[in-house]
Amino acid sequence: MQLSLEGSKTINLPRERVFDLLTDTNFIASSLPDAEEVNVVDKETIDARLKVRIALVSASMKVRIKLGERERPNFGTLYVEGSGSGSNVKIASRFELLNGSTTTMKWSANVEITGVMAGLGSTILKSFADKKVTEIFDSITKAMEKTG
Amino acid sequence: MNMSSEESPILILQALRKEGYLNLLLFGPYEIVMEEIFEESVKEVASTVGLKSEEISILEDADRAAEELLASEFERYVTRKYNPEIKEVLVKYNLLGAPIAREYGGRGARQIVESLMLERLGQVGLGVITLVDVHQCLGSLAVQEWGSEEQKKKYLPKAASGEILFAYGLTEPEAGSDPASLKTTYRKEGDGYRIKGSKYLISNGSVATHMIVFARSSDSGQISSFIVNTSEKGFSVEIRLEEKVGLFTSDTSMISLEDVFVPKEDMLHVEGKGMAVAYSALLNGRIGIGSGCLGVMEDCLKQAKERARNRVQHGKEIGKHQLIQRHIATIASNLEACRWLVYRAAMKKEEYDRNRSDVRLRAQADRLSAIAKYMASTLAFDSADRAMQVFGGFGYSILSPVAKHFLDTRVARIYEGTDEIMQLKIASLELGKDFEAYR
Ligand SMILES: Cc1cc2nc3c(=O)[nH]c(=O)nc-3n(C[C@H](O)[C@H](O)[C@H](O)COP(=O)(O)OP(=O)(O)OC[C@H]3O[C@@H](n4cnc5c(N)ncnc54)[C@H](O)[C@@H]3O)c2cc1C
Repeated sequence: MQLSLEGSKTINLPRERVFDLLTDTNFIASSLPDAEEVNVVDKETIDARLKVRIALVSASMKVRIKLGERERPNFGTLYVEGSGSGSNVKIASRFELLNGSTTTMKWSANVEITGVMAGLGSTILKSFADKKVTEIFDSITKAMEKTG
Repeated sequence: MNMSSEESPILILQALRKEGYLNLLLFGPYEIVMEEIFEESVKEVASTVGLKSEEISILEDADRAAEELLASEFERYVTRKYNPEIKEVLVKYNLLGAPIAREYGGRGARQIVESLMLERLGQVGLGVITLVDVHQCLGSLAVQEWGSEEQKKKYLPKAASGEILFAYGLTEPEAGSDPASLKTTYRKEGDGYRIKGSKYLISNGSVATHMIVFARSSDSGQISSFIVNTSEKGFSVEIRLEEKVGLFTSDTSMISLEDVFVPKEDMLHVEGKGMAVAYSALLNGRIGIGSGCLGVMEDCLKQAKERARNRVQHGKEIGKHQLIQRHIATIASNLEACRWLVYRAAMKKEEYDRNRSDVRLRAQADRLSAIAKYMASTLAFDSADRAMQVFGGFGYSILSPVAKHFLDTRVARIYEGTDEIMQLKIASLELGKDFEAYR
């Protein structure tokens, strides 16, 4: 099951600052929503156990998050691979930072889901993923703006 | 889809003959992006009967509303709860009054546009369709078709804005398929009437602000119809029927009417003609349910195809096993067969709407709406059953995207006239009045 998601977000910080935070594994680890365990392995890798919930379906997933190709302060890539509760997920995401009086972050993600969760079908998964991703970016943006 | 340049020459020529489509072409390049299968339907209808730009915009709104309703419908369904967001989202997209005439605050959607709108909403599920069909086809359109000018001005703008939500109270504990045997009574008192009785299995029953109630005169025995305010003294919700097999996101209630007062100006149509109101509302409602069932079949097809492409058993995608292909082929054929029936019924209803005194047209619209509802509900249930089979064990869980269709579509073969009543109706319209089996 493949999903393609995309969106954009305005952040009240300079581009370089946003880039540095989004590629800082300590910052990412501290702003992961619904994390049951987080372990920063190195400057490019995080291991975590996340609780993913869609209505009554709840999965506890062990995930590895890895930073990929990036170019300060223009773009970055992030890969997530995880499994748990009979489901597997692979995410390849990319963000681009555009300059202005504030920073505009354009992001896209290709998500591949297999196992039990894939059974929900892309129609339902996409509507929940859109909601969830908005929530995640809202919370990350808040956390970034708090750092000043 | 690009309606201006990428059509085949034949389609463009066909379309040019239709004034409505011409309008659309003159509108310039008109890019619309909708859910894929629905877009096909819109394109089909646009190329055969023509759709104007404002009609397309109703359908675009329906597409957005359906998309927005997906998450809440799913969450409410699995927790078996009524979904209040259905009404909110429809109000947000200005769809609740879609078929109400513009002069009364609606969007003036003719029947084919109303059908396409319900088709898209039907993809989300029959819970959404039930609320909309009852409010629009059985409630608002009954007032629009039979109400006095004062009633239309009083009720329709509010029905379009969402201040009013209609329910339709025909069925009683002892009168279902034979509604003319209803026992609820009314008697004249002062400047109005007092209604006494109970109504059973009423959709929107506990959430409606107004209900079209059918009752029998305690003097003459004739049946009349009324617009009843549900906050009136004596109106109460006796039971919210929550132990249903499906349709969890729709409200179904049993209503008690204990000498409820109705001012005389709220009698709908003339005294003694209540069953004419009831049957014409059901004619509208049946096209609505048939349209919603098209959406159900579309979603079943979409979900079954996705599962067939992704699930691997015996070393290959299950969609490569021929018996799974048979299910996919049958669902696709069910859908195509019913599209024609539903659109044809809708077009005949439009013709009748333009010539309301033509009894022959009325009979044809009645026959076609019964056929459309009977076939679309039966084949939507068959499609949901097949989609569940393609999903295997997970399909049997209400977490799967198809189980809700399996549970919900069963009721479409019961409400607004059971399979049997539809068949009797179709047969008697074929054979003639002398053959009416339920007489
Ligand atoms: C979820 C839900 C929502 C509903 N919403 C509404 C609503 O909003 N408003 C409203 O007024 N009603 C509503 N109804 C009621 C619905 O319209 C009736 O249930 C339906 O008309 C059948 O009536 P009944 O249940 O009394 O069955 P019955 O009439 O008792 O029928 C039982 C069986 O006998 C068959 N039968 C009856 N007569 C004949 C005959 N002459 N020949 C052959 N077979 C016959 C029927 O087809 C059926 O199979 C709703 C029902 C449900 C389940």
